[in-house]
Amino acid sequence: MNDIAVKIPLPKPAVNGFHPSVDTPLVIETRGLKKTYLGKVDIPVLFGIDLQIRQQEFVAIIGQSGSGKSTLLNILGALDVPTDGKVSINGVDISTLADDELAILRSDEVGFIFQAHYLLNEFTCLENALMPITIRHGEADEEQTARVLNLLERVGLTDQINKHPDEMSGGQNQRCAIVRSLANSPKIILADEPTGNLDRSSGEEVFALMREMNRESGVAFVMITHDDRLAQQADRILLIEDGNIIELSKTDHSQKNEKNHISN
Amino acid sequence: MMNSLIQLLIAALIPRSRRFEFQVAMRHLLSGGWQTLMTISAVTTGVIIVIFITSLIFGLQANISKLLTDSIPHITIKVADPKPKTLQDLHDPAISSGRIEQQAPQLKLIDNWEKVIGTARKLPNVKALSALVSGQGFASKGANPIGVSVIGADPVLQDMVTPVTSDLIAGKYQGLGSDEIVIDSQLAKDLNVSVGERIRLNSSIGVSESLNVVGIYNSGRGRGSVYITLRNGQSFFGYGTSVNAIYVKVYDIYDVDNLSKTLMALVPYEARPWTADFGSFLTNMQVMGASAYLISAFSLIASAFSIAAVLIVSVLQKSQQIGILKSMGAKQTQILRIFVFEGLGVAIFGSGLGAILGTAIVFLLGLLTRTSAQIGKPPDRLFPVQILPKYIAAAIVAAVVTTVIAAVLPARRAAKLNPVDVMR
Repeated sequence: MNDIAVKIPLPKPAVNGFHPSVDTPLVIETRGLKKTYLGKVDIPVLFGIDLQIRQQEFVAIIGQSGSGKSTLLNILGALDVPTDGKVSINGVDISTLADDELAILRSDEVGFIFQAHYLLNEFTCLENALMPITIRHGEADEEQTARVLNLLERVGLTDQINKHPDEMSGGQNQRCAIVRSLANSPKIILADEPTGNLDRSSGEEVFALMREMNRESGVAFVMITHDDRLAQQADRILLIEDGNIIELSKTDHSQKNEKNHISN
Repeated sequence: MMNSLIQLLIAALIPRSRRFEFQVAMRHLLSGGWQTLMTISAVTTGVIIVIFITSLIFGLQANISKLLTDSIPHITIKVADPKPKTLQDLHDPAISSGRIEQQAPQLKLIDNWEKVIGTARKLPNVKALSALVSGQGFASKGANPIGVSVIGADPVLQDMVTPVTSDLIAGKYQGLGSDEIVIDSQLAKDLNVSVGERIRLNSSIGVSESLNVVGIYNSGRGRGSVYITLRNGQSFFGYGTSVNAIYVKVYDIYDVDNLSKTLMALVPYEARPWTADFGSFLTNMQVMGASAYLISAFSLIASAFSIAAVLIVSVLQKSQQIGILKSMGAKQTQILRIFVFEGLGVAIFGSGLGAILGTAIVFLLGLLTRTSAQIGKPPDRLFPVQILPKYIAAAIVAAVVTTVIAAVLPARRAAKLNPVDVMR
C-alpha cells in the first residue's frame, strides 16, 4: 500500500452498504455448480457452488491464485460452461441456450471488466465504449451515443473520446472499459481484478467509479480482487477456498487479514 | 480523414446489421501495416500475372491465328472431287475388269454461285464471301515465263476474305481495271517490274493478255498469287460466267466445322473448313490457351496460400481481441464475417490495383517494337500482347473468389476461438 493521495473518496464501508431483501430480484443464481478441467489429468476446480446475487449488490470475491475465482466468473458470465450444476442469469437457465443465444445474453445482461482493459487499439475511446452496442445493433443511434457520452463525461473522459487506447493512461483506459461494460445497460457486471494493473491511486479511482455506477444504476457488480481494502468496501465478501465458496463477514475478513499480517 | 471516408463508405454501402463486422475488418486492415500490404501485394501480383499471361498467350494466339487465317479462306466452297469407286459399287454383276479406266478431266465449276452466296450470307458466323476463279498461269516480261497462281475476284470482296490492300507496298488493289494486275513483290523482283509497267499473263488454255501492273504487295508469306478482276479471270480461264471457288470469312475461326456442315447440307458443294488442313495448328492453339488458364490458376492458388497464411497469423495476433469481442456478445458468425470481410477488402483492393498495374504493364509492353521482317512495312510489336477486358474482369472475379475462400479457413478458426482460452 502506498500513500498517494486519493482524489475520489473511497465508498463508505459496506456495513452501511446495500442490504438486499428477499424481494430484490436475483440476477445470478447457481446451484451445485461444479467445474473440472478435463485433460490427461482431470483438474477439479469448483465443487458445487450455490450462490445468489441480487440486483444492486456489490460482491467481492477473494481467494488464493488458482482457487477458481476467474473460472467462476467466466461461468457466471456465460463465457464458460460448468461441468455440472445450474446457472441462471436474470432468471434464464443458461444451459438451455444455444451459442448465439448465449452471445445475446452476454450482450444484453452482462458487462465485463478485466484486469487488462482490452480496449481495441484500432478504435477511439468513444468507439470502444460504444462497442457492445455496435456488436448488438450494428451501429449506435443518437440516443445510445448520447448516453455513452454522458457516461464518459461522468468518468472524466470527455476530452479523451477521440483518443486511441495507446494515447491514454492505464487508469483512463480502465475507466473507458467501465463505461464500455455499462454501454448496453446490463443487469450485472463481472469484474476480474479491474484494479490489478493500476497504481493505488488509479485503482481507487476506478473502484470508486464502479461503486458509484452500482449505486446509481442498480447494476450488480461481482468483483474479483486481491486488494483487501477494496474487498472491505463491497456489500458482501465471498471467499473461494478449496473449490468451495464461503461468505465472510466483515469481521472475519478483517481478523483474517490481521492474522496474516502478524504471521508475516 | 481516412476514418471519415470509411464512415461515409460504410453508411452508403453496408447495411446497419453488418456495420460492426465491416468496421472491425476495415480497422484491422488499416492498422495492419506490412501484413495488409503483404496480403494486398499477393493478390495484386496474382492478378498482374493472370492479366500478363492471358494477354501474352492469347495475344500471341490471336497474332498467329491472324497471320495464318488472314491469308487463307476460313471455308472454301468448291465442287467436290469425285470419290473413286470400286466395281462392286457399280452394282452391275456383268462388269468385271482389272483395268483402271482413265477419267476424262472435268471442269469443276460453280455455275449458280450467286445463289450459293445468297444462301451462305444468311448463316450465322459468316462475315464475308467472295466468288473467284483461280488457276495456274505464266507471267513474263520478255523471256523466261514464271509460273504463278492467278486469282480473279472482285477486289472489294477479296479484300474482305484474304486481304491484299493491307499488304500493298506500292500502288493499289481497289479499283482494279480489266487490263490491270496486282502482283507480289517476289514476282516483281523476278520480272524486274514496278508499278506502271506491263507484264504478259498466259493461261493454260492459250489465252494471253498484256496487263498493267497497278499494285505490288508483300504478304511476308513467300510468293503469293497475282490478282486480276473476276470478269478478266473468267475470260482468262474460259469459265464463262462461272467461278470455281467461293471463299468464306467467318467471325469465329474456331467455330467453322458446324458452319461447313450446315453449308454442305444447303448447297451441293464441298465446304472445306480451314481446320481440315491445319488440324495440328488448331491443337497447338488449344494447348496454348489451356496453358494460359493453367498458369493463371496456379498463380492465383499461390496467392491464395499467401493470403491464407497471413490471415492465419492475423487471427493468432487478434485472438485476444476476438475473445473480448465475444465476451461483449459477438456471435461466431460475426467473427467469421470480420475475417471474410478482411479477405474481401484485400481481394477488392488487391485485384483492383492488380488490374490497373497489369493493364498498364501490358499496354507498355505493347508499345515496344522491332524492325518488321517485311520490307516497307511498319515495325512489328515485340510482344504481341492484347488488352483483353474479359480476361481482366475474369482475373478480378477469380482473385476475389480465391481470396475469400482463402480467408474462410482462418475466419472459421477465429470464429471457434474460446474467449476463456484466449483471454487467460
